[in-house]
Amino acid sequence: MQSGSNAFLEALRAIAPAAVPDWVLMVTAAVIGFAIALGLISVAALFFVWLERKVAGHIQCRYGPMYAGGWHGWAQSLADGVKLMLKEDLVPRDADRALFIFAPGLVLAAILGAMAAYPLAPAVFFGQFSLGVFFIVAMSSMTTIGVVMAGWASNSKWTTYGAMREAAQVVAYEIPLGLSLLVPVMAAGTLDLRAASAMQSGLWGMDWLIMPWNNPFMLPAGVLFLVAALAETKRAPFDLPEAESELVAGFMTEYSGIRWSFFFMEEYAAMFLMSAVGAVFFLGGFESPLTHLAAQIGGTELFVRDAAGTLAFDASAIPYQIVAGLTLLAKTVFGVFLMMWLRWTLPRVRIDQVMTMGYKYLTPLALLCVVGAAAWEAIKHALWS
Amino acid sequence: MSDTHTASGLGGDARVLRSGEREFTLDVRTQDMEINFGPQHPATHGVMRILIRADGELVTGAQPHLGYLHRCAEKIGESVEWLQYLPYTDRYDYLAAMNNNLGYSMAVEAVMGIAIPRRAELIRIICAELNRIGSHLIAVGTYGMDIGAFTPFLYMFREREWMMALFEKICGARLTYSYIRIGGLFNDAPPGWFEEVALFCDTFEAKWPEYYDLLIVNKIFVKRTANVGVIPGRVCLDFGLTGPILRGSGVDWDLRRDMPYSLYGEIWRDGAFQVPVARGEMGTVGDCWDRTWVRMREMQESIRIVRWCLAHIEEGPVMAEIPKILKVPKGEAYVGIENPRGELGHYVVSDGEKMAVRVRVRGPSFCNVAVLEDVLPGALVADAVAIIGSTDIVMGETDR
Amino acid sequence: MDFQGIHDRLRAIGAPGLVGADEPRQGDPKDKKDKGRAGDPFVLVDPQRLTDFLRVCRDDERLCFEMLVDLTATDPAKDQAHLWVNVQLLSLRHRQRLAIKCLLEKAAPRLPTTVPVYRASQWHERECAEMFGITFEGHPDPRNVLLPADWVGHPLRKDYQYPKEYHGISCE
Repeated sequence: MQSGSNAFLEALRAIAPAAVPDWVLMVTAAVIGFAIALGLISVAALFFVWLERKVAGHIQCRYGPMYAGGWHGWAQSLADGVKLMLKEDLVPRDADRALFIFAPGLVLAAILGAMAAYPLAPAVFFGQFSLGVFFIVAMSSMTTIGVVMAGWASNSKWTTYGAMREAAQVVAYEIPLGLSLLVPVMAAGTLDLRAASAMQSGLWGMDWLIMPWNNPFMLPAGVLFLVAALAETKRAPFDLPEAESELVAGFMTEYSGIRWSFFFMEEYAAMFLMSAVGAVFFLGGFESPLTHLAAQIGGTELFVRDAAGTLAFDASAIPYQIVAGLTLLAKTVFGVFLMMWLRWTLPRVRIDQVMTMGYKYLTPLALLCVVGAAAWEAIKHALWS
Repeated sequence: MSDTHTASGLGGDARVLRSGEREFTLDVRTQDMEINFGPQHPATHGVMRILIRADGELVTGAQPHLGYLHRCAEKIGESVEWLQYLPYTDRYDYLAAMNNNLGYSMAVEAVMGIAIPRRAELIRIICAELNRIGSHLIAVGTYGMDIGAFTPFLYMFREREWMMALFEKICGARLTYSYIRIGGLFNDAPPGWFEEVALFCDTFEAKWPEYYDLLIVNKIFVKRTANVGVIPGRVCLDFGLTGPILRGSGVDWDLRRDMPYSLYGEIWRDGAFQVPVARGEMGTVGDCWDRTWVRMREMQESIRIVRWCLAHIEEGPVMAEIPKILKVPKGEAYVGIENPRGELGHYVVSDGEKMAVRVRVRGPSFCNVAVLEDVLPGALVADAVAIIGSTDIVMGETDR
Repeated sequence: MDFQGIHDRLRAIGAPGLVGADEPRQGDPKDKKDKGRAGDPFVLVDPQRLTDFLRVCRDDERLCFEMLVDLTATDPAKDQAHLWVNVQLLSLRHRQRLAIKCLLEKAAPRLPTTVPVYRASQWHERECAEMFGITFEGHPDPRNVLLPADWVGHPLRKDYQYPKEYHGISCE
């Protein structure tokens, strides 16, 4: 892997005339990356909305969308998106106008920023992030500010409830989230998603960190991470901030149209990112037997420096990149599917029970996992290296 | 309706700090939040407004406001003929319309002093018990939805669709039947109907454990409902609460067994059904879980009653001989029957004319709502939703 | 116990306010106008002593009416001078019901509240008050329960006039 650059930048460097200064290329690469990230979030949100409705439908013994677009209503979310764009832009008269309009933007901006650390493929990424998962967790926490802002600015008692619950819940579950991520980070030795994924490539691509031979504390940490991720993304059973049947729609009550859809895009993007982090650190990331196979038949780097030092584009690496990217995507989508499955099965936990669980049970358990995993790693290194 | 909003200075003290020569005065005033639960709200089971005073998430006061669905049923009873009033009875507790028809018809029949043909009685009981199942399915399903479990609601509606299809076959309507009439029934059951009811009983009995495992003993559901909204038995008696709320608080009382009407006395003596009374299995007796458990068990008992009726069905007329233009003799009577929500009472006063002098409907939900004023304070806002859902109130019956 | 038994017990313990009883009867064959009365028996009680009467019904061992099932009122006819207050009691222990009727002057329909005896009557009395104009003295919360706070008139009375309009909405 080249350091300090990414596939877009290298591609631009390769094709741009020499007269163009490097900073222009970097800015262009950044803009392209931003556009792709935005596109990724939008498509992901569209797809996940459809998937959620189908999953919900089939769990509830019914079909879900069937008409829009023909085959199983695949165009339903497109239709919904068009409808939302055509809706009236409503700002309640007594709402704090500036904050009301700013909140969904902040929420989406935060999650878009976090998306920058998601690697599309081993060589196609938005930027070099040695802080990887730490950056993702930190950026996605900023969405809480937006949620509280939205709840407060709506000037309604119900939305204030939703906002307060969100703040309390997120603060409570940041700790188990971080601690449970510490376990695979310790085992992988890095916060960088690409590097962590690369070190799980042994055993024909099945040497995932969650496997028992790597560290027995990985599985409990993985489960803890799942629970904490559900709480962070406000998904059932922790969906109190938007508790439909109690608070009408929680902090989103006064939002309609495109602004409301921003919150929903953020929710699905957050689910996507949390699931991606889990997929990389627990489930092997890019690695799978298929990826291993693809690595045998072609190259793995898209841009290679030959003996003279010039960059050349290696087309034989494309299958590997595609397979690796799709593997990570498949694992991420599975994680999201798991979250949806839990949503439609379990009832909602009350806010004080959520806080109790977070502070009194999950945090000590997470600490236990960290200490245990560290001890295991130390013993393993002492005995086998 | 009270429309005053007062800001109560809860914990409002002026604390005086001394710092050297100067005195500082800190005026810390906190304020209870007054929020409107309803009338448009996903969890109030109809149009009801509860003014809740809350200190953060803790409810410190609750005041239900009714009347949004008041349709003057009792006044209308005085201006339409006896039989014409029947469709109005459907519409108070619209989830258990057969039972409403039954209550009204029995009250008028008590004044008239007529006997109902046996076949009519048997089909009446089948319809009333099937409707009880349907009503409890909605009660428990929507309760699950209030708690956040969206899926059992749809499973229960699947069974309810079948029940409504059965009723559609027998009387043409899915929700408001006007089928049980003064003197008997509107018409006889179509051929094959009893076999379909038997099939429904078998299928539903097999599905019951599914609902029980998915929702009722789910750890999260138990945590949300056990020890929440405890109503002691003597409070129930004092407030006149009946039905699953009373049995959920451990009081062993069911009108079908203790003051039998129609053929229930015979069915009880045959040992065909039991009366489920809560024993505080998951928490304190009288909590929300117990009330839900009673409703689930009652569905099972209703199946057994329906099976008994199917086994004893006999041929015969379904309507007693009564004149087309009904003139009920002078007199008055009160008849209370066991509605899915409690004791539904009809008090009718007749002057010997074509129309009633007074039709009084004692709706169980009206009495059940009154207890919310006393039970909600001290609970959390999320618990308020759980408690309101567990009382299973239908606003049509509360407001009439 | 049947109604006779209950009535005898009430008389034996000297229940306050007990005026009499009315049971269903056949019509007088000699008098064509008298067609008799069908339905349920009830006891007649002085409305001013109703609260004490209910307390005795609730506390006496042989009567033991733990539950007030219904408290309502009736306007028998436009030309009659009295309103009825109807109370239905239920005894779970003895499995018996009791129907009580009080006659109230239409000109001054007031009686003490029964809330101290049964909490159930709190809302029932509110409904009677708004529908019939009966005043329950000492009621802890005399607001309208089903009607809006500014409704004019008492709808369930026989001489009730429907309003022409309410807040600008026509009621024709």
